Amino acid sequence: MTAPLVEIRDVSKRFARRLDVAGKIARKLGADIREEVVHAVDEVNLDIREGEVLGLVGESGCGKSTLGRVVAGIHAPSSGQLLFEGSDVATMSSADKRAATLAVQMIFQDPFASLNPRMRVEDIIGEAPRVHGIVSRSDVPDYVDDVMRKVGLDPSLKRRYAHQFSGGQRQRIGIARALAVKPKFLVCDEAIAALDVSIQAQVINLFMDLREEFGLTYLFISHDLSVVEHIADRVAIMYLGRIVESASTEEIFSAPRHPYTRALLAEAPRLDQRKRDFAPIEGEIPSPLAPPDGCFFNPRCPHAQELCRQKQPKLETFGEAHSVACHYWKDL
Amino acid sequence: MTAVLEVSGLKTHFFTHAGVVKAVDGVDFTVSKGEVMGLVGESGSGKSITGFSILGLIDQPGRIVEGAIRFNGEDIANAPEAKLKAIRGNKISMIFQDPMMTLNPVLRIDTQMMEAILAHEAVPKKEAWERSRDALGLVGIPSPEERLRAYPHQLSGGMRQRVSIAIAFLNKPDLIIADEPTTALDVTIQAQIIYEAQKLTRQTGTAMIWITHDLAVVAGLADRISVMYAGRIVEQGQTDDVIDRPLHPYTVGLLGSVPTANNRGERLFQIEGMTPNMLALPEGCAFAPRCGSASAACKVPPPVEHIADRELRCYHPQAQVAAQ
Repeated sequence: MTAPLVEIRDVSKRFARRLDVAGKIARKLGADIREEVVHAVDEVNLDIREGEVLGLVGESGCGKSTLGRVVAGIHAPSSGQLLFEGSDVATMSSADKRAATLAVQMIFQDPFASLNPRMRVEDIIGEAPRVHGIVSRSDVPDYVDDVMRKVGLDPSLKRRYAHQFSGGQRQRIGIARALAVKPKFLVCDEAIAALDVSIQAQVINLFMDLREEFGLTYLFISHDLSVVEHIADRVAIMYLGRIVESASTEEIFSAPRHPYTRALLAEAPRLDQRKRDFAPIEGEIPSPLAPPDGCFFNPRCPHAQELCRQKQPKLETFGEAHSVACHYWKDL
Repeated sequence: MTAVLEVSGLKTHFFTHAGVVKAVDGVDFTVSKGEVMGLVGESGSGKSITGFSILGLIDQPGRIVEGAIRFNGEDIANAPEAKLKAIRGNKISMIFQDPMMTLNPVLRIDTQMMEAILAHEAVPKKEAWERSRDALGLVGIPSPEERLRAYPHQLSGGMRQRVSIAIAFLNKPDLIIADEPTTALDVTIQAQIIYEAQKLTRQTGTAMIWITHDLAVVAGLADRISVMYAGRIVEQGQTDDVIDRPLHPYTVGLLGSVPTANNRGERLFQIEGMTPNMLALPEGCAFAPRCGSASAACKVPPPVEHIADRELRCYHPQAQVAAQ
């Protein structure tokens, strides 16, 4: 087994809404006002090995994007450690830190919002490698052509602005921008969710080709199980800031253990299921401002028992790196 | 089965400064009582405009230039506004992708629901209120009395979509047009919404047109599927036929593009090129420039061909190509 490229150790990310002046005064006077804290990511442990594709699946508000942003270095974790190639990013020397940050690049969901509308494509792609001294100024034009060709864009279009491209092409520009700094690791946050079906397939294929060509490692964040099943080697399922299950893609899809994973799999629409009777699980995702006691899934879980309402289950590992956070996984 | 809706030769064009956009260009289909038809296409294929045309919701610079929309036998294409008003929300209702297109943010749910009833029927307010409460109960909203007093912003996205489904079913319509109603929702919530819609159509015999870009959703829900590309229906038939034995190269490509358990880790089939610019559609078959089977014949628009109970617009049906 190869060493992990990225290790996430007990990482939490909390967002707090600070009290304004009126709130502080009210509290001084004895009013029961507290700062609202959202545990977007709650003590997550994950290893991402070199060359693998880890799929991170969850519904909106489960913290998957926040975790992706922590891994990409956009947010600092509130607690816990993020290790890149074995060393803690927080305590690195600034030169190492810059190298580590450059090696992790992010691709965003919305190809319309993530490209600067006032920059030409050649600048969007060429700026970072020039600034970071990856290529000399005189070589930038050739380098940009080269990167554009790799992602399937015609280099003759490089003088254009982002708005002159279609959604699929813009996503390719976003991918080219990330690739231009020669990363080892790509965080793709719902990178294909905004694209049409036929364009999705093109971009999925591009990701797979690039992985082969450059030996890239991916954290592939998505709500779409079928896409993750297709592209990932391992899958982690998140619910309200916590990992509830992780295993190899085969295992997750053939022998899911956690009731939430099972519900997700059962309810995702699939082409091979016709005229089915939809039998959904009840309830909605609780507000992360007021998560339930015990297991976060217990209000919706068909198997919930007293223990689930009191005690938070720990992530237990069994078999070949299959982890599940459920008190009763053995009985299900 | 009796046809609730018969659309024939529908053309809805938009007359913009840049030219004429033929958003819907010759669409025919029929929806029978109790039937769910899936209208599938990518963005810009004209699937939503087809839905809007039926309800007479096309604004300037667009208009229905040709064709008939027979609803219960009566042509309502370009019908006078008063007539459409009597039908909309009463006999035909619509569920939008964003429930806030249905809901008014400054009115309570009860006001809006009762208004929908009272606009079409002279019933006592109390009865309207009771019907609203029952409708909310039917779509699985807990404690409907309390929810009736809420404003839309106090509800979650899934709850709002349930309310707009409840409003759509309020007046026991003959037809519901659902335009991507679950696209913005999470998987578990999407399953709940589809479940409610499916349950209600079965109970009431309401016909439904489910507009979506997601083939997997309609595979599990629809009786029949129509696939749209660049303003035309390129293939329609029974769900099983279309998905298991697609004939049009575009349908074949779309199905191949969907990742499934069977092609894990393999390259996906990809349709080359991009969705066409609706201002400059290619001559003849609009899909020809992206099609692997295109030939010189494709320069002439393919007519609708009937093969068993399927309809197809293609000179090169893929089953025949495979057989050769």
